[in-house]
Amino acid sequence: MSHAEPVVVAPGPAPAPAGAPLDPPSPQRGATGRLVRSELRLVFGRRRNQVLLAGLAMVPLLIGLMIWLTQDTSTRGEGPGFIGRVSQNGLFLVVAALFLCLPFLLPLTVGIASGDSLAGEANAGTLRYLLVVPVARARLLAVKALGALAFVAAAVLAIAVVGLIVGAALFGVHDIALISGGSVPIGNSVLRVAGIVLYVGVSMTGLVAVGLFFSTLTEVPIGAMAATVVTAVVSAVLDTLPALASIHPYLLTHHWLDFAEFLRIAPDSHVLWTGVGVQAAWVAVFGALAWSRFTTADVSS
Amino acid sequence: MPVAVGAVVVAGFAAAPLLADAGSAGLPDITAQQLVTKVLEAKPVPMSGTVVYTARLGLPDISSLGAVSGTVSPADPINLLSGSSTLRMWTDGAGRSRVSLLGATSEYSVVHDTTQAWTYSSKQDAVTHYTLSAADAAKLKAEQQKHAQTPVPGASELPTPSQAADQALSQAQQYSTVTLDSQTTVAGRGAYQLVVTPKTSGTLVAHIVVTVDAATSTPLRVQVWSTDNAKAPALEVGFTDVSFAKPSDAVLSFSAPPGAKVTEKTIALPQHTDATKPTPSPTAGALPQNVTVSGTGWASVVEVRGVKVSALLSGNAAAAAAAARNLPHPPTAQGQDVVSQFMGGDGTDPSKSGSGLSASTLYDGLTKAVPGGRLLSSALVSVLILDDGRVLAGAVPGTTLQQLAG
Repeated sequence: MSHAEPVVVAPGPAPAPAGAPLDPPSPQRGATGRLVRSELRLVFGRRRNQVLLAGLAMVPLLIGLMIWLTQDTSTRGEGPGFIGRVSQNGLFLVVAALFLCLPFLLPLTVGIASGDSLAGEANAGTLRYLLVVPVARARLLAVKALGALAFVAAAVLAIAVVGLIVGAALFGVHDIALISGGSVPIGNSVLRVAGIVLYVGVSMTGLVAVGLFFSTLTEVPIGAMAATVVTAVVSAVLDTLPALASIHPYLLTHHWLDFAEFLRIAPDSHVLWTGVGVQAAWVAVFGALAWSRFTTADVSS
Repeated sequence: MPVAVGAVVVAGFAAAPLLADAGSAGLPDITAQQLVTKVLEAKPVPMSGTVVYTARLGLPDISSLGAVSGTVSPADPINLLSGSSTLRMWTDGAGRSRVSLLGATSEYSVVHDTTQAWTYSSKQDAVTHYTLSAADAAKLKAEQQKHAQTPVPGASELPTPSQAADQALSQAQQYSTVTLDSQTTVAGRGAYQLVVTPKTSGTLVAHIVVTVDAATSTPLRVQVWSTDNAKAPALEVGFTDVSFAKPSDAVLSFSAPPGAKVTEKTIALPQHTDATKPTPSPTAGALPQNVTVSGTGWASVVEVRGVKVSALLSGNAAAAAAAARNLPHPPTAQGQDVVSQFMGGDGTDPSKSGSGLSASTLYDGLTKAVPGGRLLSSALVSVLILDDGRVLAGAVPGTTLQQLAG
């Protein structure tokens, strides 16, 4: 659980004020790099996270097999979202799998990755050892955020890559049929699906920042994880209430489905950048909150 | 620090619309007459943009009526009855256009290319291809060539746009007052606002505001205000974003996506096509035998006799087709499209209005029982459907219809 040991042995002549608030970045070269490597090793080496990644990768596999097995029956082509198009084009398996994971499985993944980041260390009693590392607290927070982001990116990529492989194997890869009618050539199709994967990944960054903030508040990782998932669910619920239409454009989850823009005949970059901008705003606000909390918190465990 | 970041973020979101609104003032003053002349003079221009359509008709929420599951609202024209919809449109100003109704992950597209048109619903993965018969297409072409030779169509009646504006204004002023409101900004463009206010108090329409782009004289927004609600327009359709660049050819052409179900339909041109004549007023034209119009101007009420609503809703295809034939079909091709779409005139199950919502559920949800029949009352239009087969409709309150029905 602890990854304190590889960093604690880092030779450093100036360990004294390392954990103090408003400490200038340590001149210790290489400490941050070692911290990043150690964090990534920790995140990806954890059995729980590996199982989670494998589980997410199962989603496109299961959907693909299900569609492949039922494609000659009467229910062929029925289902929400893009399920109906998968049997014509394996590329749509990537889109359909991401679409099905967006409402709950991906927020859950984000919650686990980011909620655990600091609260997990605090819970295991290793956070104070981490603070002895000659690296400023803000930088430690950034490293933790990077670890969570890397895991979320890996989760989205796992779904996409397995979806692509399974889709190509079962249904083949063809020109993609747009939801505006018509189709685009194969190269453009692959680019558009890659754009969807990227957009879905970027859509998760706001929630990562929220989870990181919750993680600085508590020593109970499960609490931070749950709060993060609940944030996404509450945001999705608020998004359905017509009375709150005026705040809808600023909700964390409101623009998540705008990845469909890539499947329209003329993707509107303004729509896509709005979605990215809202995520950036959430990252800025909750990143700042997490920073202000973590750099001033009294860490005792 | 978090406070500062929060302030910057809020300021950023608040500033974006302000920046977009900059540069509205300073249009030259003109009169209502000059504005109408400019609009009539203006040639169709290539343009594209995003259109937001909002209906506050006081109808029940369609999505709450039936089997629309989940939070993802599919792109379906039935949604235009209530709430807000986003559309995108492209036109080259010369007969080719595309209009897309956007759903969260779906789209309903209508692509029009002079003598043919396609609709595509991504939810149903179904294409409908409308074409004119060869004879009709030739006729239309001949007529267009004829018009090309006489540069101003209907020269004897409408010599110049400014005289046409006179005529349009005087017609409008028979029942309404036409004024100019203050200049405004729509989709970042300076615009004039023309306000048409009915003279009668017997109608549900309070006033209509047409916002016209100052540079191109293209209408950018239309608002219809109801007497019910003075705070927000009952019907509003306008650009939120517009460009007058020529759209690319790819956007204006249509090819059926592989695997989609394609339905071919040939539509007949109405017998008397004369696009050059101004639309006759409802009382002037020859009306079908079972239709009468009472009242004048805004308070006109149309009465249709012999409509078998129960047959239309029963799901019995033959009965519905028979009943639909009895309806006065709109004289334009577009009108017939709409009727055949909603009536299922192509022999598809008429109990489904193409949206998965049963037509009778929709009917029961939208209307309420009144003595002798059912009444649909909205902020702008009332429709009274009587059990004896009469249907009364007009932009008047429901009580007016009931009094007329006796």
